[in-house]
Amino acid sequence: MQTNFTEDQLREPGIARANEILRACVHCGFCTATCPSYQVLGDELDSPRGRIYLIKDMLESGRPADAETVSHIDRCLGCLACMTTCPSGVHYMHLVDHARAHIEKTWTRPWPERLLRGALARILPYPGRFRWAMVGAKLARPFRRLVPDARARAMLDMARAPIAAPSAMDQPQVHPAAGPRRGRVVLMTGCAQKALDADINAATIRLLTRLGIEVVIPEGEGCCGALVHHMGREEEAKQFAARNICTWMAQMEGLDAIVINTSGCGTTVKDYGHIFRNDPLAEAAAEVSAKAKDITEFLATLDLPAPERHGMRIAYHAACSLQHGQKVTAAPKTLLQAAGYEVSSPADAHLCCGSAGTYNLMQPEIAAELGRRKAGTLMALQPEAIAAGNIGCMTQIGARSGVPVVHTVELLDWAWGGPEPAKLAQG
Amino acid sequence: MTVIAPACEAELAEAIRAANGPFAIRGGGTRSPAADRPVLSTAGLVGVVLYEPGALTLVVKAGTPLAEVEDVLAAKNQRLAFEPMDHRPVLGTSGDPTIGGALAVNASGPRRVQAGAARDFLLGAVFVDGEGTRVRNGGRVMKNVTGYDLARLQAGARGSLGVLTELSFKVLPVPERVATLALACDTPGRAVAEMSRALGSPYEVTGAAWDGARVLLRIEGFADSVAYRAGELARIIPGLAPADEDPWPALRDGAALAPMERDIWRVSLRASHGAVLAERLREAGAAVQLDWGGALLWAATAPGTDLRAEMADLGGHATRLRGQGSTPARHPDPAPVAALAAGLRQKFDPRGLFAPEG
Amino acid sequence: MELPSPNPAILDRRAEIVARLKAALPAGTVIDDPRGLVAYECDALTAYRCPPLAVALPRSTQEVAEALKICHEMGVPVVPRGAGTSLAGGSLPTGDAVVIGVARLTRVLETDYADRIIRVETGRTNLSVTGAVEADGFFYAPDPSSQLACAISGNIGMNSGGAHCLKYGVTTNNLLGVTMVLMDGTVVEIGGAHMDAGDLDLLSVICGSEGQLGIVTEATLRILPKPEGARPVLMGFGSSRVAGACVSDIIEAGVLPVAIEFMDRPCIRACEAFAHAGYPDVEALLIIEVEGSPAEIDHQLRLIRGIAERHGPEVIRESTTAEESAAIWLGRKSAFGAMGQINDYMCLDGTIPVTELPLVLERIGELSAQYGLGVANVFHAGDGNMHPLILFDANKPGDLELCEQMGADILKLCVEVGGCLTGEHGVGVEKRDLMTVQFSEDDLEAQLKVKDVFDPKWLLNAAKVFPLAVTEGRRP
Ligand SMILES: Cc1cc2nc3c(=O)[nH]c(=O)nc-3n(C[C@H](O)[C@H](O)[C@H](O)COP(=O)(O)OP(=O)(O)OC[C@H]3O[C@@H](n4cnc5c(N)ncnc54)[C@H](O)[C@@H]3O)c2cc1C
Ligand code: SF4
Ligand code: SF4
Ligand code: SF4
Repeated sequence: MQTNFTEDQLREPGIARANEILRACVHCGFCTATCPSYQVLGDELDSPRGRIYLIKDMLESGRPADAETVSHIDRCLGCLACMTTCPSGVHYMHLVDHARAHIEKTWTRPWPERLLRGALARILPYPGRFRWAMVGAKLARPFRRLVPDARARAMLDMARAPIAAPSAMDQPQVHPAAGPRRGRVVLMTGCAQKALDADINAATIRLLTRLGIEVVIPEGEGCCGALVHHMGREEEAKQFAARNICTWMAQMEGLDAIVINTSGCGTTVKDYGHIFRNDPLAEAAAEVSAKAKDITEFLATLDLPAPERHGMRIAYHAACSLQHGQKVTAAPKTLLQAAGYEVSSPADAHLCCGSAGTYNLMQPEIAAELGRRKAGTLMALQPEAIAAGNIGCMTQIGARSGVPVVHTVELLDWAWGGPEPAKLAQG
Repeated sequence: MTVIAPACEAELAEAIRAANGPFAIRGGGTRSPAADRPVLSTAGLVGVVLYEPGALTLVVKAGTPLAEVEDVLAAKNQRLAFEPMDHRPVLGTSGDPTIGGALAVNASGPRRVQAGAARDFLLGAVFVDGEGTRVRNGGRVMKNVTGYDLARLQAGARGSLGVLTELSFKVLPVPERVATLALACDTPGRAVAEMSRALGSPYEVTGAAWDGARVLLRIEGFADSVAYRAGELARIIPGLAPADEDPWPALRDGAALAPMERDIWRVSLRASHGAVLAERLREAGAAVQLDWGGALLWAATAPGTDLRAEMADLGGHATRLRGQGSTPARHPDPAPVAALAAGLRQKFDPRGLFAPEG
Repeated sequence: MELPSPNPAILDRRAEIVARLKAALPAGTVIDDPRGLVAYECDALTAYRCPPLAVALPRSTQEVAEALKICHEMGVPVVPRGAGTSLAGGSLPTGDAVVIGVARLTRVLETDYADRIIRVETGRTNLSVTGAVEADGFFYAPDPSSQLACAISGNIGMNSGGAHCLKYGVTTNNLLGVTMVLMDGTVVEIGGAHMDAGDLDLLSVICGSEGQLGIVTEATLRILPKPEGARPVLMGFGSSRVAGACVSDIIEAGVLPVAIEFMDRPCIRACEAFAHAGYPDVEALLIIEVEGSPAEIDHQLRLIRGIAERHGPEVIRESTTAEESAAIWLGRKSAFGAMGQINDYMCLDGTIPVTELPLVLERIGELSAQYGLGVANVFHAGDGNMHPLILFDANKPGDLELCEQMGADILKLCVEVGGCLTGEHGVGVEKRDLMTVQFSEDDLEAQLKVKDVFDPKWLLNAAKVFPLAVTEGRRP
């Protein structure tokens, strides 16, 4: 597609990249068909093609962001279904990241929104703070009806989930391999996840060590930066990321992978290389990105013993960050099948469940509609449990499904010698 | 009775411009009741203009007899796939049906259900409108969306928008083998159910009819393939057995109903409604046949019967091919649709020269 | 290419028009923010752009009728829009027009397998019509490459075709009935679940009328049982000419595959990079698909191979798995997008008699050299529907104009050899001014008369299809 940037504008690396992306877009509209927000709203402005156009217009004119443009970019889930669909290889993620940063710089949000975003940015990436916030929210839940803002209500609703006690397993330490050591990985222990669900890391560590993998949880790793990154807070995001990069670089010797079990984080870590491309940390960041592996991606490289079969009907929900962000599509299903489960995929498997990081807090109506649709297609498979590779999806779907939602790795751990996942035992 | 038979488009246009009252347009004259209007005949507009077997296309003058067209195609092992019906048995007329006449009434036989109607094989047309203007539309290629499809609009218009002079068609190869399978069945409900089962299968049924006593299915193609599909159909429809005769021309022309001293109707409606209407009409004493899997109903009713009264709740349209009654022979369209049709006729034939005769 | 200048009298009443639309339609239906309008300024033909006066996205036939009634009363032009994937500028707005989009009309209203029909709202995408019936073994046959995104409304607007139309026909052959709102707000039902018309076959002019006769909100479509199986075979040749000759031989021999698709080297490479379909790296590739039981497929492929062998193919490879077949089609259907990754292009759509393929491909090569613009070819060879993609640089001044000239030369060539300007994408604005190459004044006048009847004030998408000079005096 034709673009209209001046020579001057193109000298800015962010704009140069945006121009490159926009030039590749042929405006064919294929991406609209798989975009969840467009499916719900039916306005092209809420589709990738429309957003690309809005961004193009905003960047070309060089003007500050405006309310209309912001509202449509805000409704983007960042699910990246559009990138899977696009035959032209348009890198929507980098474009929208750039647009979000531009919005953050040039647009002043109304104060209640600023407050909410600020609070989220200061709470979610820190498990300790998050845990306390959840306790507070739990106390406030009875007053839910009195809360005027749908977004704030959505936040209170999140506190429906039981609050996980801090676990000893995901503190900094080395979990040695059981038996002869076949490999060594760093486990990224996530941010919000460990406050919401301690079982996922526990299952990951048990399974990996049982398979002969040494699991390192280094001192100093923290949130991947995705939460603030998606709010356009570029610099904060880079600080989180830089800290992780330095922490992990110290572990690189003899390291097979940086294993990540929240796919949302995985997508961001795999993008560190791009985020730091014009930075002294570029090389290190690229190395970290290359080592980053989703837990299922890593498990798929191992020789696995015969499983203990539990013969359960599992509906697999592909988290967007896994299927679109990281293009990990076969491994989770193949592993679950190898582990003896009966696995099926729902209709419209490409559609996001609506959780999408903080999306369900910021856009509760659209998120709820997507959640309802996703739970519907999953339950149509009549599963005994639902598996997903991302904590956000698990919470979002769990609130609507009526059957337990477990992390893929919990089911794998169970099949290869671990305990039955607590969520199943309770359910 | 005056007969004008122009020898070329220019003469035709001249005749139309000079006219001061309505014509009766005649192709082969196989359908038309005797008229008190002067006859405008296409008998002078004959001959194959272009035939490219390698491109599956035939361009032909509208007055060319169908039989001649079919001979030309047969020589290259090709055919008109829409199986135009022959009106002579029902109407008791003589003459040779022409290709223009077939298209003007969108005459489509049993293969309609799978391959499509005359309109579906039409690639282009030339006609002269009511002001004597020659209009070309469409062309001779397989896919063409250049401008409005006025060519297809002529299919079924019975010449009311203009006199067709030249037509181009997509033609198809003659299949290596044809087989007909039959199943004894005397209720329309079951017949339509079995035909739906066959047509809903992947075995490419190219004819699905009910003659009142039997469901008849036709399959065509390469010999091995026909044998295979016949076997599969017999498997999903127990009792289905090969029939030796070729019942399709008779079904196509309503030949079994023709000798009855009754009105003859042809009703196009949704297949499952074909079963409903057939049952109602049978109870009322009519002789009924179904084609197109139930979506085409043939009925021979007591003279003067208003068949449409029986289908008010069903949708579709009924044409009285033969007989006189107080109701019109053609199904009236709902008012806003009829207004559009009338508007088009007014535009293309402002003087009403081609107003249909009935 | 020129758009009529917007009527200042209408622009002056913009506020009033928007206010009336907003009052008549539910909240969130009308877009009038200038930023928002920019995203509706074009369809998939981005060379031509113009933001509309306003956009309305109704949710029902009734709302469409309300919106049209207001526009009719106020004399405001209307441009109907489906998914906006037209490659001819069919849904390109004019500055004084209200775009009425049907994207929110997506429901399936009725499915009947015994009668083999489905009734849908027309904003539903083509592929999701098949999606609604495929679990039960049925499909909707017309399959434009854009089927993932394009809507039934646009398919009807353009009478769209696709790769498998060689066997199953195009939209007009699979459309049984529509609910359409006329410009004055009257709702008409044309056709239905039955076959053929009682009186005039109005569906035939509605299908392919490019949004100029009314806004279609519901459609009854024919659905078909899925074949037992299908298998594509890839055949690589040393030149486009030879591949073209092979196609006409196959057709002549009376074997009728369901699809015969053609791609040349630049397209093969781009598609392979996206779909990993295992396309051979050759000068010219045919994708030929046959259907039926495994034995039937084998039999037909034997015949086709026999013909192809006479043309000395470099590669013949049959797909062996369902995944491979899916990748082969994904690659082909993504061809335009995949080419976009490499270059800006203008996509042509002329149709020629298949027997002329070798000649026309050669002439296109010559024109390419003459104009100094590259051409990539990917098209539906079986029915002679060509899609030469002229490659140019949209950011380079003058390139678009050069490209338009070359496009016009190619389309004239198509008409010259007995073909037409457009086989499935429609005339839109893109080929509007070439209509006089294919049609005489009288031929065009006859078409205009049809619009006179459906839309006497000429408010619906009036700047398209016919050269502006020809419609002067009819347009407001
Ligand atoms: C990558 C790509 C590949 C393509 N491949 C093919 C192909 O293989 N075959 C093919 O035929 N086409 C193809 N196309 C072209 C395009 O997809 C078709 O023309 C399609 O039918 C347009 O549908 P749409 O819903 O996007 O319609 P739009 O682009 O929105 O509109 C198309 C036309 O229909 C009219 N229209 C829209 N909605 C209505 C309505 N409700 N009532 C009346 N008129 C209406 C519009 O005014 C316009 O004139 C392709 C396009 C792209 C981008
Ligand atoms: S699919 Fe890709 S090329 Fe097509 S509009 Fe979307 S982003 Fe642009
Ligand atoms: S990231 Fe998801 S929500 Fe955002 S535009 Fe792409 S498909 Fe739509
Ligand atoms: S939480 Fe839902 S949003 Fe995240 S990745 Fe899940 S599917 Fe998309």
